[in-house]
Amino acid sequence: MLGKQMMCGAALLLMAGQARAETIEDKVAVCAGCHGEAGKPIDKTIPTIWGQQAGYLYIQLRDFKRGDRKSEIMQPIATQFERDDMLAIAEYFSQKPWPDLGQPRAPKDVAAKALSASASVGCPACHLDRFQGDGTVPRLAGMGRDYLAKTIADFRTRARGNNPGMSDLMIATSPDDLAALVEYLAGL
Amino acid sequence: MYVKGLAAFAAAVGVGLLSGAAIAQEVKQEKQSVLGNANVPPVTQEQLNAADKNAKDFLLTNGNYAQTRFYPGKQISRDNVKNLHVAWIFQTDVKESLETSPIVVDGVMYVTTSFSHVYALDAKTGQQLWHYAHKMGPITVYCCGPNNRGVQVLGDRVYLATLDSKLMALNAKTGEVVWTTNIADPELGYSETMAPTVVKDKVLIGTNGGEYGIRGFVRAYDAKTGKQLWNFNTIPENSVGVWATKDATGRDMHRNIQAEKDMLAKIGDPYAKLGGGVWQNPSVDLATNRIYFVVGNPSPDLDGSNRPGDNLYTNSLVSLDLDTGKYVCHFQYIAHDVWDLDAVSPTVLVDVKDKGGKTIPGVIHAGKTGHIYVHDRKDCSLIRFSEAMVPQENMWVLPTKEGARMLPGANGGVEWSPIATDPGQELAYAINLHQPMTYHVESTAYPNGKLWLGGAFKVIPSEKQSGNITAVNYNTGKIKWQVKTPEPMIGGILATAGGLVFTGEGNGKFAAYNSSSGKELWSFRAGAGVNAPPSSYMVGGKQYVVVGAGGNVQLDFKRGNNIIAFTLD
Ligand code: HEC
Ligand code: HEC
Repeated sequence: MLGKQMMCGAALLLMAGQARAETIEDKVAVCAGCHGEAGKPIDKTIPTIWGQQAGYLYIQLRDFKRGDRKSEIMQPIATQFERDDMLAIAEYFSQKPWPDLGQPRAPKDVAAKALSASASVGCPACHLDRFQGDGTVPRLAGMGRDYLAKTIADFRTRARGNNPGMSDLMIATSPDDLAALVEYLAGL
Repeated sequence: MYVKGLAAFAAAVGVGLLSGAAIAQEVKQEKQSVLGNANVPPVTQEQLNAADKNAKDFLLTNGNYAQTRFYPGKQISRDNVKNLHVAWIFQTDVKESLETSPIVVDGVMYVTTSFSHVYALDAKTGQQLWHYAHKMGPITVYCCGPNNRGVQVLGDRVYLATLDSKLMALNAKTGEVVWTTNIADPELGYSETMAPTVVKDKVLIGTNGGEYGIRGFVRAYDAKTGKQLWNFNTIPENSVGVWATKDATGRDMHRNIQAEKDMLAKIGDPYAKLGGGVWQNPSVDLATNRIYFVVGNPSPDLDGSNRPGDNLYTNSLVSLDLDTGKYVCHFQYIAHDVWDLDAVSPTVLVDVKDKGGKTIPGVIHAGKTGHIYVHDRKDCSLIRFSEAMVPQENMWVLPTKEGARMLPGANGGVEWSPIATDPGQELAYAINLHQPMTYHVESTAYPNGKLWLGGAFKVIPSEKQSGNITAVNYNTGKIKWQVKTPEPMIGGILATAGGLVFTGEGNGKFAAYNSSSGKELWSFRAGAGVNAPPSSYMVGGKQYVVVGAGGNVQLDFKRGNNIIAFTLD
């Protein structure tokens, strides 16, 4: 855990030196330190950004910079970017292939529970068929399990406060339904 | 010119793949895209004015400016509809919800798909003439699917409004872009899914965004240039109204007026972020030069604590002057709505009986509440409302943190689905949903263009859902007949002079019914949800009925990518 933190610290330093970087590759070099060389995050609580929807990635960077989404790690990183940088970075990562994290499929009973909860709130109305996302709505299918659990918990407590609508929906869904959803979504 | 042609060609063959948006939903097929051979004569305003008497074409989203969805042709009739069969099936490149109303001009059909693609097809053979694959901006914000409900043609241009909130004119023969105008900023929650209405060189358009704290509007743009001509804010600067405590049907809405007044004194009029999207086309009264439309829910949907007052003109019928966009009249169905039981299904202009039995120009609307409301066109006042078409229970219990059960659920009643009318029979035909839900409230401040629901509506998994097709006599308010369906219904319906109504279901069934009795006369299984409004037209002396089978995002009905046309042998 400590080692990981140090590594992230090093990545931050590295990035500070590159603040005036020109090319998109320079700008995104630092991201790999945590979000992974081939798109596989180095830690289970770090989200997949390769192959994620561009609109969503942009909005998250914007929200980190504005402080609407709190993160000690991501806030200083996003602060250096202007709107155009964020759009370009978002486009860059959205074009990368979504990595297969090799997470197991949810067992039948868990999947059934997840689908019933999903139908009750209507998750696919926004996250679309097979949870692929679109525009500013994220793909959830195959997202890291621990990250999903963490961010859903953060929505519920409003520790993640950048989308009160999502928080409302998570609060209206019971914790054990959400646990089933996490397992189901991770295994898609 | 050449360069332009190339660009259009690129759009026709590949941009869908590059756009990055929803790659998974797009079915790529190698297709020979032939450009420039949609041989359509220009559509004149006179033709549009007379669309209600024209059985050859289907020129407007809801058939004609009155929006009756009454098709005047009767080659397909009660007697022979049993012989209806598939003429052709066209597969689009986008496998996602289809809500398009096919437009037909002289044997050329225009359909749209999710993500704002447009196709021109040969209406006789289903052969593709051109394909406009919209290059979507990265930022799209919408509530209920990446839907598009269609286009309209005037002159030699096809008008389209896109999910990333642009208004566009395309060349009707080639699909090339003639002009593009930004309507509003998607980053603040604005999006477009409706078809424009084009009349007298004006392109009329509303906006979505009631789940994002927008300030809604209806606008007119110059059809030739794309320049804005007028803007009507659906939320006036004085949105407080009359502190109505009862809904249009006289039921108490349990408002805490004193608490609202205290809040008003504290925060002032909440008009700037109050929502009020306009989902569907306005009706145009050519005789009086007025338009009629309905305005959707206030933002946030379920939490009224930060929006004191009646929240005018949300959940209302509104009429404007067509030339100036100036207010004429309104009627609010539900003041200070906290259930999202708003007004979305398009208005219809028909002659109706007033309270004294005199025939007058009327306007009718089917509400999410499950009533059909009948109004006097002169001043928007309510003449009557129909019997409830769906079960209503516990209205209007206030949403709670734990969730309060009330029927209808938040999709209605009647969703955005257009109704049809048969003036000869004085009947309106609506498709209904029955989805028991609980309403939950949570309170948060305006989140800068993010989803702002103020709570949640949840389907109760243990309760059975269903749907209906309902025929209502709008001069008595009585239900004439009702057909039960196994699932809630969303999409639309068409009535014809052949004595039929056509509508589809989420399970893929598409059927024709006797419009006087509701007796089922023919049906077909499309394999994907038939959740789009049907159209009808003539080509080569034969009548066709056409409908999209693409399923539905909102109710998660099975997706497909088929436009299916039917005819008789
Ligand atoms: C030091 C490690 C670290 C680095 C370097 C880093 N990130 Fe992150 N990133 C995180 C963590 C941890 C989160 C989750 C934050 C949270 O939920 O609290 C995150 C979240 C995100 C998110 C939100 C994703 C989602 O699904 O919500 C985006 C977008 C993002 N990062 C983009 C980037 C980009 C672009 C870079 C490079 C410019 C970058 N990150 C560099 C650790 C890092
Ligand atoms: C009304 C639309 C809507 C519905 C319904 C909805 N979501 Fe979301 N969801 C969003 C949006 C928009 C975001 C992006 C939030 C932001 O802006 O940060 C999101 C974000 C998320 C995230 C964060 C992903 C990430 O990478 O950080 C998760 C997890 C999630 N939703 C799960 C769900 C689940 C599970 C359901 C159903 C129980 C659901 N959502 C229903 C719109 C919706």
